[in-house]
Amino acid sequence: MNIEIDYTVEPEVVKNQPSHSSVNDAIAAPLETKPSIKYYIALGISGSLLLTGAICLGFSFYYGVGLWGNNQPVGWAIPIVNFVFWVGIGHAGTLISAILFLFRQRWRTGIARFAEAMTIFAVITAGLFPLIHTGRPWLAGYLFPLPNQHHLWVNFTSPLIWDVFAVSTYLTVSFVFWYVGLIPDLAILRDRTQSKVKKIIYSIFSLGWRHSNRHWHHYEMLYLILAGFATPLVLSVHTIVSFDFAVSIVPGWHTTIFPPYFVAGAIFSGFAMVQNVLIVVRKIFHIEHIISLDTLEKMNKVMLATGMMVGYAYGVEFFIAWYSGNPLESFVFFNRVFGNYAWAYWIMVSCNVIFTQLFWFKKIRRNIPIMFVIGVLVNVGMWFERFVIVISTLSKDFLPSSWGYYKPTLVDIGILLGSFGLFFTLVILFIRALPVVSISEVKAVIKGSQPQHH
Amino acid sequence: MTGLSADNFVSYSYRELPKKNFNFGLLFTLVGLIGIVLGYALEPERTSFNLIIVFTWLTSIGIGSIFFIGIEYLTGAVWSVPFRRIAEINSAFVLVAPIIAIPVIFNIHSIYHWSHPEALIHDEILKNKSAYLNQTFFVIRFIVTFLLWFLFYFLIIRNSSKQDTSKDQRSTRRNTIISAIFMPIFAVTLTLFSIDWLMSLEPHWYSTIFGVYYFSGTILASIALFTFISIALNESGFLVEGLNREHYYSMGALLFAFTNFWAYIAFSQFMLIWYANLPEETFWFINRGVGSWLYWSIGIIFVKFIVPYIFLLPQPAKMDPKRLKFASLWILFAHYYDLYWIVMPTYSKTGVVFSWIELSAIVFSIGLLVVCSYFFSKGRNLVPIGDPKLKRGIEFHL
Amino acid sequence: MENKENRNLYAVGALFDSPNKLVAFAKKLVNEGYRFWDVHSSYPLHGLPKIMRLKWSPLGYVALVLGLTGTLTGLFLTYWTMSVDYRLTIGGKPWFSFPAFVPVLFELTVLLASVGTAIVMLFIIFKLPNNRHPLHDSEYLKKVSVDKCGIIVESHDAKFDYQTIRSLFGEYGASEVVDIYYNEEEIAYKPRVFEPKFIVFLVVIAILTSAFGYLFNNKVLYLPPFDFMLKQFKVNPQSESMFFADGFGMRTPVAGTVARGQRDYPFKGKPDEAGEKLVNPLLSTNDVLELGKRKYNTFCSPCHGWRGEGDSRLNGQFPNPPSLHSEKVRNWSDGRIYHVIMEGQNIMPSYASQLTEKERWAIILYIRALQRSLNAKQEDVK
Repeated sequence: MNIEIDYTVEPEVVKNQPSHSSVNDAIAAPLETKPSIKYYIALGISGSLLLTGAICLGFSFYYGVGLWGNNQPVGWAIPIVNFVFWVGIGHAGTLISAILFLFRQRWRTGIARFAEAMTIFAVITAGLFPLIHTGRPWLAGYLFPLPNQHHLWVNFTSPLIWDVFAVSTYLTVSFVFWYVGLIPDLAILRDRTQSKVKKIIYSIFSLGWRHSNRHWHHYEMLYLILAGFATPLVLSVHTIVSFDFAVSIVPGWHTTIFPPYFVAGAIFSGFAMVQNVLIVVRKIFHIEHIISLDTLEKMNKVMLATGMMVGYAYGVEFFIAWYSGNPLESFVFFNRVFGNYAWAYWIMVSCNVIFTQLFWFKKIRRNIPIMFVIGVLVNVGMWFERFVIVISTLSKDFLPSSWGYYKPTLVDIGILLGSFGLFFTLVILFIRALPVVSISEVKAVIKGSQPQHH
Repeated sequence: MTGLSADNFVSYSYRELPKKNFNFGLLFTLVGLIGIVLGYALEPERTSFNLIIVFTWLTSIGIGSIFFIGIEYLTGAVWSVPFRRIAEINSAFVLVAPIIAIPVIFNIHSIYHWSHPEALIHDEILKNKSAYLNQTFFVIRFIVTFLLWFLFYFLIIRNSSKQDTSKDQRSTRRNTIISAIFMPIFAVTLTLFSIDWLMSLEPHWYSTIFGVYYFSGTILASIALFTFISIALNESGFLVEGLNREHYYSMGALLFAFTNFWAYIAFSQFMLIWYANLPEETFWFINRGVGSWLYWSIGIIFVKFIVPYIFLLPQPAKMDPKRLKFASLWILFAHYYDLYWIVMPTYSKTGVVFSWIELSAIVFSIGLLVVCSYFFSKGRNLVPIGDPKLKRGIEFHL
Repeated sequence: MENKENRNLYAVGALFDSPNKLVAFAKKLVNEGYRFWDVHSSYPLHGLPKIMRLKWSPLGYVALVLGLTGTLTGLFLTYWTMSVDYRLTIGGKPWFSFPAFVPVLFELTVLLASVGTAIVMLFIIFKLPNNRHPLHDSEYLKKVSVDKCGIIVESHDAKFDYQTIRSLFGEYGASEVVDIYYNEEEIAYKPRVFEPKFIVFLVVIAILTSAFGYLFNNKVLYLPPFDFMLKQFKVNPQSESMFFADGFGMRTPVAGTVARGQRDYPFKGKPDEAGEKLVNPLLSTNDVLELGKRKYNTFCSPCHGWRGEGDSRLNGQFPNPPSLHSEKVRNWSDGRIYHVIMEGQNIMPSYASQLTEKERWAIILYIRALQRSLNAKQEDVK
C-alpha cells in the first residue's frame, strides 16, 4: 500500500509558507491591476445572458405571465424549479463558513469568503423567482406583515410566508456574516491602497478598524455566535423550502424525509458550484497555494458524501412509496421513473448518484478537468432533481382528465439563462471589487503566525 | 514513513479497572435478568415489547459508536483520538445486542401484527407488504444486518488494536478506507433495521424520515455514553496525561449539536404529518395522545430536547466535566424514554404502563452496560497508543 | 521632551517581527500592572486574550437576550395576527397552530440575535465607525496591516513613563519603536447633528422618498402594465354596455321574480296598519341584542346618536332627528318603528335595502333596550 499521508503532522492549509506581505499582494492583486481582455469577455458573456433574462422578464411583465409555459395542472413550473435550485446553490457558502468553522475544519479558510459571496448572490437570484412567479412583483410588499387599515395580515400558517421569512433572514444574516468577515480585510486594503477614491471607500466600509486584539477578542466571539446561528439557519432555509412541497397532500411531495433530503441536496449542488468557480478563479489569479488541490479534494469528498445522502433519500422515498401500500404514492414514483418525464429522472439519477461515485477514486478527486466536469454534471442533475419533483409530480395529479405535459417556453428558458447571467455577473464583479480570499484568516493559519505558548 | 518516530510515543501504562463497579453491574444484570425471565414466563408479550426497547437501545449505542469511530477516521479529527478506544469498547454492544433479540424473534407473533398469516387475508395493504414484511425475510435481514456490522466491527477494531504494538501508520489508512465503505452500508442497514424493528410495530404506518430519526437518537446515545466513560476514566487517571476541558468541549458541542439535530428531525416528522393531516399517517401520533400517553408525548419534548438544550447551551457547560457527565446520563435516559414512546403504545393503547417488568428491563440494561464495558475493556489498552494522531490529539487546543 | 508634545502623545508603540517576542512583552506588561495598552495584529493571535486577562466576552448574553426578544416578537406577531386581530380558519387548523408558527419564530430569533449582536459589537462596544482615532491611518497601523504585529502603551496609563517604555521595547527585541500623537484637529472635532448640510441632505431624502411614494402609488400603478387588474372584461356598476339594446350595463330583475330573501312589504304607505299587524318575531336574547347594537351603531347612530338621543356626529348638518326616547316613540309598537325603517320618515330615507328583516327587528329590540335604559320602570330594577 502506498502511503502519502503522514498522520503525525497537521496538514498545512496554505502551501509553501508564503510571507504575510506576499499574501496581501496575492489577494489584493486582482483589485489593483487592470483586468485583462478575458475578464471583459467573461463579463460580456454573463452580461448578455443577464440582458436576455431582463428582456424576457420585461416582456413577461408587460404581456403577463401567460408567456410562460405554466398552466394547469403544472402551475408551479420553471420559476419554482429555478428558485429551489438557486437557494440550494446558496447553501454551500454558509455551510463552509459556519458549519465547517464550528467543526474546526481549517481548510475552509481559503474558500470561505468566496463561498459566502456566492451565497449572497445565489440568494439574490433565487429571491427573484418567487417574486416574478406572483406575476405582479411590484406588490411584493404585501408578502411582509405590514400593519394596514384593513387589519389584513399575511397567513403565517402558509409555508410560502415561511419562505419569505427564511429567505430574507438568510440573505440578511449571510450578508452580516460576510461583511463582518470583510471588515479586517477592508482595513488592510485601506492601509495599502494608493488611490484616493479607493481610500475613501475602504475607510468608510472598514469603519476605522484598527486590528486591536481587544477587539479581536470580541470579534472571535461574534464570529462563533454568528456561526452558531447560521448553522441552524442554513438547515432551516432549505427545510422550509422543502416544506413548501411537503406540507401539501400531493403524493410525491408529501413525504417526511424532504427536509434533510433537501438540505443535503442543497449542500451538494452548492459545493459543486463553488468548486467550479474556484477552479477558474485560482487559476486566473495564481492563488493555487491558498486554494490548494487538497482543498478541492476535500470539497469533492463532501460532494461524494452529500451525493450519497441524496441517493439514500431517492432510495428511501422509493422504498416507502411501495411499502406504504398507497396506490397514489406508488403510481407517482412509477411515473417518475417510467412516465413522460423519465428522461429528466434518469438525468437526475445519473448525474447526482452515478457520476459522483467516480469521486471514490483519489486520482479523479485530484484531477481538475474531470472534477470540473463532474461538478457541472452535479449542477445539471440537481436542477433536474427539482424539475422532477415539481413538474413530473404536478403533470399527473389526482384527476387523470387534467393530466398534461408541461413544456417550458422560450421566455422561460430566457429567464433561466438570465438567472445564470445575474449570478455570474455579480460573481465577476465581486472578483475585481473585493478580496476573494480572507486575508486575515489566511494569515492566521500560515505556519509561524501564531505565538508558541509552550 | 510507515512507522512512528520516537517523539510521537506517548507514555501510558495499563491499569486494571476497579472491581467495585463491576460487581454492582453484575448484580443489576442478574436482578434484571431474573425479572425478565420471570416476566417472559408470566407475560411474554409485554416482556418482549420491553426487550425490543432494550435491544434497540443497546444496538444504538453499539452501532453509533462504530459510526462515530468511522467519522473520526474520515474527517481526520484529532481531539477524539485519545478517547477512541472507549468508543471501540462501546461498539462491542453490537455483539451483545442480538442475543436479546432472540427471545423476541421466538415471540414474534404477539408483537408484530404482520407476522400473522390470518391478518393478511382481510388486509389488502398488509398483503401488498408481505413480500417484505414476512417472518423469513425478517430473520434473514436481521442476520445479514448483524453479520455486516460484526464484519466492520472486527475489521476496524482489529486494525486499531494491532496498531498498539505495530505503530504502523498504514492501519490508520486502512481504517479510513474501511470507514468510507462502512458509511453507505451503515445508512442502508440502520434504516432497514429501524423500519423492521420499530416502524413495522404499526405495520400500516410509514414515514420516510424514520431511519434518520432513529439515527439521530443512535448517534446521540453513543456519543453520550462515550462522553460519560471518557470523562469518568480520565478523571480517575486511567487515560494519558494532558487531556482536559478543551477536549471535553468537543464532546459537549457534539451532544448539543445532535440534541438540536434530533429536535429538527422530530419536528420535521411531526409537523409534516400534523399539517397534511392524512389519516393513514396521523393515527400514529393520535395513538400517542391517548390517555396518559399524551403526557409522555409532551414529556419527550422536554426530556429529549429542552432540558439538554438549556443545560448544554452555555459555553462553560460544554467543558465542565460534572455537568457533561450529568448531561450524557440524561441523554442516555432520554433515548430510552424515546424508544419507549415509539414501542410501547403498540402494546398498551390506553396509557403509559409501568411495572416490575419495565423496571427489570431498565435494571438489566444498566447492568449489561456496565458488565459489558468491563468485559470488553479487559486486557486492552484504554488509549490507542500506536495511533499516529495520538500526540496531536493530546496536544489539542481549541 | 517638551510639554506640549507630551500632552499630544497618545501612546508609544513598538513593532515586532514575530508574535513570540510580542507575547513575552505582553506578559511583562501584565505583570507590571499596566492597564491601558493594546496589541495589534492583522489576524487574531491565539491565546492572547488569556495573557491580556481580558474578561469573557459578554456577546453571548447579548445574543441570548436578543434571540429571546426575537422569539417573543414572533410569538406575539403570529398569535395576535392569526388568533386575535383577523382570525381565519385555514386548512381546518386551530387559530393558534403553534407548529406552523415555529419556522417564523425560529427565523425571527436568528435574525434578531445575529444582526443585533453584530450591531452591538461594532457600534456599541467598539464605538465604530471611528476614523479619527490617533492610530487610524498611522504608519504604525499600516505596518501592522502588512506583516508586523504591534504593541502600544497609552500615555494616560498611571504607570506610563516614556523612557522606561522605550527602553523596555528595545530589551524585548522590537524591530521599530514609534511615538503616536493625537492630531489637534481630531481632538477638537465634535460631530454636530444640526449641521446645515446634513439637514439639507435629510430634507432632500425626505422629499425624494415622498415624491417617489406618491408617484408610485397614485400614478405608476395606474399605468400599463401595472393596471391590468383595473381593465377587465366585465361590466362595472353604472357602466355602459354595447351588448344590451338599451345600452345599460345594469339589468332590472325579470318581471314577476323575487330575489332570494326579499319579501314584498304589504304596508306601503300604511303606517298605522303596520303598527297594528306587524309583530316582532325575535326574542331579546343576548345574541339578538348584540346584532341589533352592531347594526344600530353602523346605520342608525350617525344621525340618532349612540344612545338614540338625536345627538349625532352629524349634528347640525341636517335637521336634527328627534330623540328615540320621546313619549311618542316609546309608545309606538315594534311594527310602527319597523315601518319607519322600511319607508323612512320626513328627511330619513328608507333603510330597507341596507338591512335584512332579522336585522331590522334586532335593531328595534336594541332601541327598546336603549329606551329602557333611560326611562326604566320599577319592575326593570329587579
